[in-house]
This record gives sequence, structure tokens and C-alpha cells, in this order.
Amino acid sequence: MVLKIFFPQCCTTADSGLLVGCWIPDQDSAVVLAVVHYPFIPGQVKRYLTEIRSQTDVDLTVLGSWSMPKEGQEGMDSFLKDLSTIFPHSRWLQLSREIGKRGEGSVRDENEKVIIVHYDQRKVMLSQLHPVQEGVSHSKMEQSALRAVFHTVAQSHPLFFIDKYDDGPLKLTHWQSEGREASIIAELVKQGSVPVCKLLTWMLSLWSWLGSIRLLNVPPVRFISSKLSTCVQLGYRTEHLQTVSSTRKATEHMEFMRKANIFVSFLLDMALGLLLIAWLYRENRIGKLASTLVPVADHVAKELRELLEWLMGAPAGLKMNRALDQVLGRFFIYHIHLWISYIHLMSPFIEMILWYVGLSACLGLTFALSVLSDMVALLTFHIYCFYVYGARLYCLKIYGLSSLWRLFRGKKWNVLRQRVDSCSYDMDQLFIGTLLFTILLFLLPTTALYYLVFTLLRLVVVLFQGLIHLAVDLLNSFPLFAMGLRVCRPYRLAEGVKFRVLCEEEGTPLHLMMEINPIKVSAVLQYYRTPTYSCYPRDSWMALCKKLFVGELIYPWKHKTTKTD
Amino acid sequence: PPCGPVENKKVLYGRQPYPDNYVDRRFLAELRRNVGVQQLRYWSVAREAGLVGQQVSCVAVFVALWSSLDGGALPPAALLWGGLLAALLGYGLHGALGGGTGGRTRWADLQSAAIFLAFTFGFSPVLKTLTESVSTDTVYAMSALMLLAHLLFFPYARPSPPGSLSLNAALFGSVCLASRLPGALHAFAMLTWALLLFALWPCLLQRLRDRAPRAFPWAAALVSLAGVGGLSGLWPGGSVLLLLTLLALTLACPLLLVRLQRHKDNIHGPWDEAEIREDLSRFLD
Repeated sequence: MVLKIFFPQCCTTADSGLLVGCWIPDQDSAVVLAVVHYPFIPGQVKRYLTEIRSQTDVDLTVLGSWSMPKEGQEGMDSFLKDLSTIFPHSRWLQLSREIGKRGEGSVRDENEKVIIVHYDQRKVMLSQLHPVQEGVSHSKMEQSALRAVFHTVAQSHPLFFIDKYDDGPLKLTHWQSEGREASIIAELVKQGSVPVCKLLTWMLSLWSWLGSIRLLNVPPVRFISSKLSTCVQLGYRTEHLQTVSSTRKATEHMEFMRKANIFVSFLLDMALGLLLIAWLYRENRIGKLASTLVPVADHVAKELRELLEWLMGAPAGLKMNRALDQVLGRFFIYHIHLWISYIHLMSPFIEMILWYVGLSACLGLTFALSVLSDMVALLTFHIYCFYVYGARLYCLKIYGLSSLWRLFRGKKWNVLRQRVDSCSYDMDQLFIGTLLFTILLFLLPTTALYYLVFTLLRLVVVLFQGLIHLAVDLLNSFPLFAMGLRVCRPYRLAEGVKFRVLCEEEGTPLHLMMEINPIKVSAVLQYYRTPTYSCYPRDSWMALCKKLFVGELIYPWKHKTTKTD
Repeated sequence: PPCGPVENKKVLYGRQPYPDNYVDRRFLAELRRNVGVQQLRYWSVAREAGLVGQQVSCVAVFVALWSSLDGGALPPAALLWGGLLAALLGYGLHGALGGGTGGRTRWADLQSAAIFLAFTFGFSPVLKTLTESVSTDTVYAMSALMLLAHLLFFPYARPSPPGSLSLNAALFGSVCLASRLPGALHAFAMLTWALLLFALWPCLLQRLRDRAPRAFPWAAALVSLAGVGGLSGLWPGGSVLLLLTLLALTLACPLLLVRLQRHKDNIHGPWDEAEIREDLSRFLD
């Protein structure tokens, strides 16, 4: 069996003393966490170790002895050898360093192969191995050696509090022994964040109470608010803020990352929103926008009317049934007339509405985009209406035609067996059925053309809305904090390790340098993506084409919600 | 070892000294020829063929009526009254011949008639403008195709419950033709006559064939004459063609059939599929 010893890099220049660390039982490895220097009192060492063991979950013991020969300390070696009798151990390590060469190690009583793996203690302590296993940290049995090493170092946090400026009985060497890292700003933020979080939580609870009162939960209001993307976005942001502002400290890595990601993306969102406001409200752009809105709506209506008149003639040389054509065309033109009157009625108020609505961008760029999407939906509502009329008419026609075609051949649809069966019809049924079949068949081209035109228009609007939603979703769910961490401090998100050979000689143990392998960028996205609603197409292409052909109403974007009801 | 020639009992469950596919002199002794073939007599076949000819001339009568409406030779009101009269006559004849009403009361018949008339009258303005944008050639071709389909799929064996496809095809063709007429009333008259000719006349014919077999050939002959006569006003060449077709159908084809009966050569034997001759409906409740 090969014995693996994980030795911190900062301890290679430490003075002689005791090795303190942890044995990893199954895999025959040992993790050295710190070196306790001479002079020390063994009783105090034992007491300190028991204290640390009760604070953390780590099974700290004295692993062995470390000797760094210096002038004036020749008797150290034999003294250190006698130490093995004081401390209880199952195995005793004896590592020593020679100036100019790498260390040599030997294990008492056993003659087996030893590998010494050097590691950077600070990096290993801060890093997190992926894929993250949450909740399994208690059962050490199932962990691999690497995971156990990372876990041990991370958990031994309290061991690293004593630095060289402390006046305690023990002197330790570890990564923080040169002086503990602290920054005043971080401390201030930590102290100040607690009351801020409390305030935020209280405000959010007030807001959600407001949102749940009876009056606002009436079904029509609920229906409308589920369709308007602004309300949906508001809901998501409330949820996010609730996650961020909870006063409980994040204990696990994933929770912490989620909080951090949400917080950073929220900040970015608001910054972009404020930028947008600054740009929009300068030079009276709102006024200009408002004054171009009504002419644009007029222009769209004019184009639609011309389109309908073209359809009422002989479009593209196709022969339409004149009577039906006139009826449908006049019906739609009347609708457009109603719509334009409504817009003209609203035109004095548009500038004011736009001014106030533009202010909502201070809540974030995502809000501004959602409001834009809703406004587009409202402005093209007549196109949506036309599409629904055309689709329903066409669907009815197709359904009637298919049923009457079966009657034509003397068959009918057996609902129980889901197949087509023969049927002997009455004379009346045959007569009327054939009459209706003829009428529907000859009126089909007209209806189909209207349906086609309005479906195309609707698809254009839907595409535009889909693009906006995609942008909003990107802003919502992109893990900025994790990405920044990956770029600036790649050792914190680890996928694995790689080993570099430092010294390979006969007679001495193998020395390896352990370096952390950061995870790939695509893996960052995969692990840390905030789960918000993602817009993806509900149907495949084939299903969409089939729905279009039959005349079913299509709502091509499906919103996946994260609520677990 | 067999002592003397053992006769091959044609069984497979007993041991025999012959192989399984052995055949002896009695091979094909059980062959029978032309079992159950009827001997056809010329004049009865000619009578039945009259039905086919009659149906063809029905279609010819319809086309003649249409062309006279189109040309304006016949006013639609007159046609409507004529149709009503013909319907009443036919209904009376149908009742007088007896044979049961098939479970329908007079009230149900009146209801059906009312539905037909209401629907046709209500839809006739729509029907008139139905094929406005389709070219004339297409309309004629479609109608011809549909009437041909009607003739092909007509249930000649038993015309009374009308076959769906044949009736529907005839009605479709007549709607196509009717939509070419100048007015809504014309279209209404045309459709009424289509219903009479294609839907109600076969019922009467069936009743005639069942109850008064001697009068049946005379009715068929009457219709054929009407067809030829009507067509002669439209297209004299066509009427000659129709006459020739009718003669061929009624006289020449039966002759051919009877002549060819002689050459019939069906082989039957114990190798045929078993046919169940018993009436198994006694096992059903």
C-alpha cells in the first residue's frame, strides 16, 4: 500500500515541531494541517486539539514530527523521536527537511512507499469541488480521497485562527500564521447588512401581503396578471429579493452562490435601468416618442386596410368567392376603424402615461423590457383578434369538411374504437350533408387565404415578443457572480486536480505538486444558472406545422415556472 | 410387409405403407365442374339490363332539363310545379303498390319534405354564387366526373336504400351544374328535380320491380325514351349516341353474356374452402 501525505506548501519552511492533521481512514492518506513548534507542553497541545475537535467535525490528531535542522538544535532529532511515546497514535510519521534538497520522509515501523503531495492550503481551503454534494458531508465513508482532503481543510477553519502575533501557549504554522486576513470594508458591510436585510424582509412581507388581498385575487385580474409579462417579472424579482434578503447566513456553497448571483444580477439590472432612464429622459425623448406613437399606429392601420382591400379584390390572381370575401373584408375593416378611433381617443394621455411608465425602468432593465413587450402586445391586440377570428373560422371549416367527406363516402367516425366505420345514413342526412359539403368546399380558398395572412402577421408579432423575453430571461438567469469568480479566482470553483512532479529520485519519496483544475465555462453556466422562467418553444416544428394546417390556435412560447405547487 | 395391394385410405392418422403425398387411380375422381351455375335465359337478362340503361337515361334527362333551364326555354316556375306534381304522383303510386311503408308515418314523410324544401330554398342564393370564380370548363368537367361516379357506384342489385357515394356524387354534380344557372329560383328548381330523379325515383323503381314485375320494363322504356327525346333537343348527335348505347346495353350485352356462359368452366372439389350453409343466426340471441 502506498501512503499519501498531503503537506501544505507554507509549512515546508517551518521550524521543527509536531505535525497536526487528520488521517483519512480508507484511502491510506494523511492530511497535514499545521505544525506546532517547539517549545510546547504536550498537555496543552492535547487540550487545544480536543477543543478544536469539538468545534469542528474534523478528527484532529498528532500525525508525527517535522524536523528542520538548524544550528544550535542538534539534539532535536532524538527529542522528536521520543515524542512518539507521548502522543497516542496508530502510525507515526517522521518528516525532515534538508537544506538545499526537498524533504525526505520515513514512517516508523513500516517499510512502505510514500508519496508526498504538496498543496496550497489557502486555495484548497477556499475552493469547492464540483459537482457539489450537499448534505452528504457527514458521511465520510462515501467520499473519495480528494473530496475528503478538500472537505477536511475547509472544515478546519478554527484551527487557522492563531497567528504569530497571538500570545497563546502554542505557536502554529499554517497559511494564516503570517497574520490573519481581514478588511475593514468587509467587516463594515457584514455588520451593516443585518439591519438592511431585516428592513428589506419586512418590506417584502408587506408587499406580498398586499399582493394576496382578496380584491386582487379575483379570477379576471389573476388571468390578466398571468398574461402580462410585467406582472410575471415583478413576481420573479420579489422571489429573488426574498432569497437575497433572508437574514439566515448561507451555510452551503450552492445557496451562497445563488444569493450572490441574484444580488449581482439585480445590481447590474438596476444599473442598466438607471442608464436607460438617464438616456430616455434627457432631451425630452419621451415627448418625441409619444408624438411618434400615434402616427405609427395610424400607419399600421392604413397598411392593414390596404391589405384587406387587396384581399377583397383578386389577390395574386386567385379566384375568391366574392360574397364571402366582401363580408369578411368589411368585418375586419370595421374592426380597424374601431381600433383607430380608440387610439385617437387616447392620444392626449399618451405622453403622460409614457412618462410614468418610463420611470418604472428604475426597477431594472428587465422591467423596461417587460413593459415594452406588454405595450407591443396591447398595440397589436387587433392583429391578435383578427388571427383568432380567422383561425376559428378556418378550424371550423376544416373540421366540418373532414366530417362531411366521411359522410360523402358513406362512412363515419367511431369514437369508441377511434376508427372510421361504414354507416348507412338516412336520405335527409345524405342530402343536407352533401349540400353543406359542396358549400364548404367551394368557400375553402377564401377562408384559407384570410387565415394565412393573419397567421403570418401574428407570427411576426410573436417572434418579436419572443426575442424580448429571451433578453429578459438572459438578464434574469445569467450567473454573473459565478462567471466573475471563474475568471478572476479560478481556484475557487474546482473540477479536479492535476499533479506535477517536483522530485523523483531513487531512495526518496515521490514529491508531487497538487494544482487545482478549474471547471469549464459551460459547466459554470450549467451549475449556477438561476432557475427562472425560460422561454422555449412548446412544440417541435412538425407539431407546429400540423397545428397551423388544422387551424388550432398557437401559443408557441411556453413559460416554464419554477413554482413547485 | 403388405400382402397384396392395400387400398390407400386417405387418412393421415393411421399407419399406411404409402407416403403422405401418395395419389392413386382415384385421383380427381371427385372433381366436379360448373356446380351451381345458373342457366341464363336471354330475355330475363335483358330485362335486368334495362335497369342500367334506365339509369343512364335518367342522367340524360337531368342534363336535358338543365340545358333547357339554362337556355331559358323552360321557366323555373313551370319546372317547380311539374316537379311537385311528379312527386305527388310518385308518392301516390308508391303507396298504391303496397308493400308496407317501411316504418315511416305520413307525418315523418311530410317532415322530410319540409326539411328538403326549406334547406334548398334557404341555400339557393349561396349555391348560385358558389362557382362564380371557377371557370366553365372546370365546372363541366367536375359535373361529368361526378355523374359518371354516380353511374358506376349505383347499387343496381337493390336500388332502394340509396348508396351513399352514388347519391352524394350525383348531388354534388347537380349542385355544380345548378350554380351555373342565371337565377336563385333556377337553382332551387334544379336541385328539386335532382332530388326527385336521383333519390326518390330509384325507390319507386324498386317498389315497382318487387310488386309489379310486368310493369317494370315499361317504366324503364318510358324513361329511356324521355332521355333520348330530351337529349335530341340539346344535341341530336348525342341523342343518337344515347340510343345506340341503350340498345347495346339492353340487347347486345345480354346476348354476349348468354353466349359466353357456354364457356364457363369452374372446377370444384373437396379442396375448396368450406362454405357454411347453415343459418347461424339461430345461435345468436
